[in-house]
Amino acid sequence: MSLRSDGRQWGSAAKFFHWVVALGILGNGVWGLLMTGMAPSISKINIYALHKSIGLTVLALFALRLAWRLYDGAPPDEPMPRWQRNVAHATHALLYLFILAMPLSGWLFNSLHGYPLQWFKLFNLPALAAKNDELSHLAGEIHEWLFYLLLLVLVGHVGAALKHHFFDQDNVLRRMLPFARVRQGKDTSGELT
Amino acid sequence: MNIRIPSLVLLALAAPCLASATDYSVQPGSMLGFTSSFQGSSFDGHFNKWNAAISYDASKLASSKFDVTVDLASVKTGDSDRDSALPGPDFFNVAKYPQAHFVTTAFHQQGSQVVADGMLTLRGVSKPVSLTVTFKPQGSGATLDVTGTVKRLDFGVGGGQYADTSVIGPDVKVTAHLVLGAK
Repeated sequence: MSLRSDGRQWGSAAKFFHWVVALGILGNGVWGLLMTGMAPSISKINIYALHKSIGLTVLALFALRLAWRLYDGAPPDEPMPRWQRNVAHATHALLYLFILAMPLSGWLFNSLHGYPLQWFKLFNLPALAAKNDELSHLAGEIHEWLFYLLLLVLVGHVGAALKHHFFDQDNVLRRMLPFARVRQGKDTSGELT
Repeated sequence: MNIRIPSLVLLALAAPCLASATDYSVQPGSMLGFTSSFQGSSFDGHFNKWNAAISYDASKLASSKFDVTVDLASVKTGDSDRDSALPGPDFFNVAKYPQAHFVTTAFHQQGSQVVADGMLTLRGVSKPVSLTVTFKPQGSGATLDVTGTVKRLDFGVGGGQYADTSVIGPDVKVTAHLVLGAK
């Protein structure tokens, strides 16, 4: 598997970014929803700190991913009706937007709350805004709601990938799977290669 | 008359040795603060309620004395979460130890700097703490600036689960600015 994407499938770099960012943002989202109910303790402080560190990592990886995508391009779309292609591209654009908005809204929330922001206890990042208790509450709500909206769009993204894989039996999912090989020739139906 | 003059001279000579340092009262504009760190970022706090009995004269250090009492529940650090946690059992434990007390035991010169050695009692623990002293007479009063470092874990402040100094820094820098009026 080559690092770069080719005419048939995504390269290993694009796959790496896709799956690591997916895992990071989903894990961190669930983690984030669970942690808010904790009673104050050093564990809560450390769990929040880890959530923030992972979020910042997702943000950095997303920046790298965007740069790589601009350099690497994308394999041509699989054959599908024009409307599906448009919806797919719109969905991807929305997901990119949410992947960017999740960590940024968290960073803003943290800043408005007046908390320090540290990356894995290694270095501190500046606040995006001055402490403001009222806006901090609003930013917290937005940070949470962005995740629910992201999940909603993700249902469409995953649903479409599975629909293409099982019903259309094309390479839409396969060409992004880490270890799967693409089906050779679109007439080959349903057989694993 | 022959007898009186020498005794007066003796008295005049003895007076500075017998007299104690000047007593001052703390005036508005005084501030007792501290700086600590949380997750790699420093924060400032201060106490709203405290009292200090100050007797000081740079030339009479032996009879100078600071006696400070702090109401720990009056701590403010600009963050409501932190302000509600600090008086709690994990930190100051004000329910059991409402006050901190610092009293000087001796003063000594360190170069041109005066250092006040004293005993700090905090959270039921008494340990020596030294403060640098900058005293500036002003009219009938004076300003007094002191700084020192308190190792929070020496006193069990944020002991137990909060003892992790990679999260909460080990050193608390204490800074006080006192505006003093003559008593």
